[in-house]
Amino acid sequence: MKYSGLFYLGIILPLSVAGIRELTADKLAHDPLPRFSSGHPAASNISSIVKLADAFKATLSDDQRALLQLEYSKSNAVRWSNFPQMAARPNRVGLTLGSLNTVQMTAFKALMAEAMDAQTVNEGLSELEGVRVADDTIARHTGQSRSFGSGIYFIAFLGTPSTSGLWELQYGGHHFAFADTYNNGELVGATPSFRGVEPIVPMTANGKVYQPMKQEQDAFIAVLNSLSEGQKTAAKLSGTFNDILLGPGADGRFPNTPQGLKISELNAGQQQLILKAIETYVGDLDKDTKAAYMNRYKTDLPGTYLAFSGSGSMEQISDYIRLDGPRLWLEYNTQVSRDFRGATHPHSVWRDKKTDYGGN
Amino acid sequence: MRNYCFLIAFLLFAGDLAAHPMPGSVVKLSVLNREIRGVAFMPKIELENAIGRPVGNLNTPFFTRYFTSHIRAISGGKPWKTTIDKILVATTQDSTVGSYDEVEVHFLMMPPDSDNLRNFTFDYDVIIHQVVTHSAIVFVEQDWKNGVRDDLTTRPLGVIKLDVPTGKIFPLEVRLGEGSSWKGFMSMVSLGMEHIREGTDHLLFLLTLLLPATLLVKRKRWAGFWGVSHSLRHIVKIVTAFTIGHSITLIIGSTGIVHFPVKPIEILIAVSILVSAAHAFRPLFPGKELFIAAGFGLIHGMAFAESLVSLDLDAGSLALSILGFNLGIELMQLLIIVITIPWLIILSRNRTYKEVRVGGAIFAGIAAVAWIIERVSGSPNSISSALQAISGSAYGLLFFLAILALLSYFKKNSPEAD
Repeated sequence: MKYSGLFYLGIILPLSVAGIRELTADKLAHDPLPRFSSGHPAASNISSIVKLADAFKATLSDDQRALLQLEYSKSNAVRWSNFPQMAARPNRVGLTLGSLNTVQMTAFKALMAEAMDAQTVNEGLSELEGVRVADDTIARHTGQSRSFGSGIYFIAFLGTPSTSGLWELQYGGHHFAFADTYNNGELVGATPSFRGVEPIVPMTANGKVYQPMKQEQDAFIAVLNSLSEGQKTAAKLSGTFNDILLGPGADGRFPNTPQGLKISELNAGQQQLILKAIETYVGDLDKDTKAAYMNRYKTDLPGTYLAFSGSGSMEQISDYIRLDGPRLWLEYNTQVSRDFRGATHPHSVWRDKKTDYGGN
Repeated sequence: MRNYCFLIAFLLFAGDLAAHPMPGSVVKLSVLNREIRGVAFMPKIELENAIGRPVGNLNTPFFTRYFTSHIRAISGGKPWKTTIDKILVATTQDSTVGSYDEVEVHFLMMPPDSDNLRNFTFDYDVIIHQVVTHSAIVFVEQDWKNGVRDDLTTRPLGVIKLDVPTGKIFPLEVRLGEGSSWKGFMSMVSLGMEHIREGTDHLLFLLTLLLPATLLVKRKRWAGFWGVSHSLRHIVKIVTAFTIGHSITLIIGSTGIVHFPVKPIEILIAVSILVSAAHAFRPLFPGKELFIAAGFGLIHGMAFAESLVSLDLDAGSLALSILGFNLGIELMQLLIIVITIPWLIILSRNRTYKEVRVGGAIFAGIAAVAWIIERVSGSPNSISSALQAISGSAYGLLFFLAILALLSYFKKNSPEAD
């Protein structure tokens, strides 16, 4: 066959080109499910998490278990919201904390304590508790106990918790959304993660004082205060923000071109302040996961952009700040408080451009 | 914006818009003969955020300029002319926000050539040009040639908001479809039918008027059955007289030559029911039913006209609308007569008809008084609310009438004697 040589060349040539490209390409950019195995045994606690998830399940009645344990699907995964629970929306899935008895509640907290930072005040599990305490405050203040209150928070297992398959630990309610996605025994995504609170003032419950968004707010104020006038001008956005841009339902809608000031323009001290702000979100998770994500965002930091709008005080209406990196998306906005006249409250979201919903 | 159905539609279609701290803007467009009329509703506070100061007096050249430059339409590369008709502020309600001040901007957009009225680029960015988290949902409220009469029957054309990936606010490409006069006409026929089907008061008036139509009058009292052919002829005359009456005022009223005041007409309609009820009880105007039917027809026609005036149509469409609307009213009336009269004829041959007639007259009388009180005072009372609640079960009433008629048919026929 005269043409067989040409035929094989036709196959081999494109294959070798593809192979070389594959070897030289930025692996992370092409991997839909980036692993954390690069020296960081992230979610090494997966077996403990699965055990605690099973233990929590074991405390439940059949009806409760049916609400908790769902199929993994993207359509279930995207059903988180920052909105309070109204009659028909948002359409959250899962089991409400209000339906748990003491034993079940203890098992729930043990699970979340494994997946989150369980030590730091107003971060991790304490932040989760603080947002619930705040919602009780709204319920008392407005009398609307059907829409607000610490019981109206939902937990769901999307997919059966296991050290091999795909599943998501989903938790959320008004001003809170948590989404740990696991696959093949590894954590493959910890976002979208929403944090907000109303009221923002300190609240006392069970002898503890909660102010769940205090560190976040302070960290952003510190970043903005560190900027020179020139840097402020470069980082300032002209638009007015009365909310975050990429809340629930706005999945994958990241700007094609980042706006604001490139962080490589900032000095080491300023960069530390930015990392500290990121840590107030990433640090809500268990320490291995936190370390893995912080390493990524630290590596990405020079190519990350800082942008803000509003007064810069992070407490007035329309105050806004955003960190937009190759992977990181973090935005925080102060908006009017509807239930506490004259007050403001924050909404914020941490997303990861590659690992939201574990890349699914 | 007080309309609950509309709010549901908004929530269903707006999706993630609902997560915003203030409701988005709502723009409703009406396709008229040579221009698009629109109303934009927006939270006042968001407008203040956009211009960076309290709005104060809205009827200033500044706001006229602001809105004309942010409400634009373009077709075939040519900009349309936007004019601001009026700007109002009203307090409104939202299920999540509660009560808030809303600015209403009434505007007109006129194309350079009216051929392009149905296909254009709607470049609307009021508030959104500055407040990047704001959005506007756009509806067609009226499009006669496509049979669109209100925003409850249409899906939104789309949502105008910041496209985060590109950082741009894309205008809305409006493609309304050509439609036809036939569609417009048929939509008016169904509007006319709806008007009678849902207009409990018109329906009750007609039925009450027909209640004694099959009976003879003797010594100023309702006596026995008049005979089938006589009754039918009489009924046709009454209905025709009513139709002539309401057609006259419908034509006058909907051309906009004369504007009839709504409240007195509504009260008069309730009075007309009371008069018919009294007549069904004792003959007040025997032999003069035709004049009464025509006279009250004039009043009912004024109320019918009200639903056409608000459509603001050109002469051709208006003529077709009046025709279609009237035809719809006639069709529905005819249908009601066809399904009611046979039972009345059967029943009225029997002595027991007296109870049906008197019972019907009392029911209509009570309803009429309740409506008069409601319409004079401007607030519903327990009877008018109850009527509202049972108005949907008119078919049940008809079924009851049919059973009654069949029962009486199988009983010994004995004429009503009073």
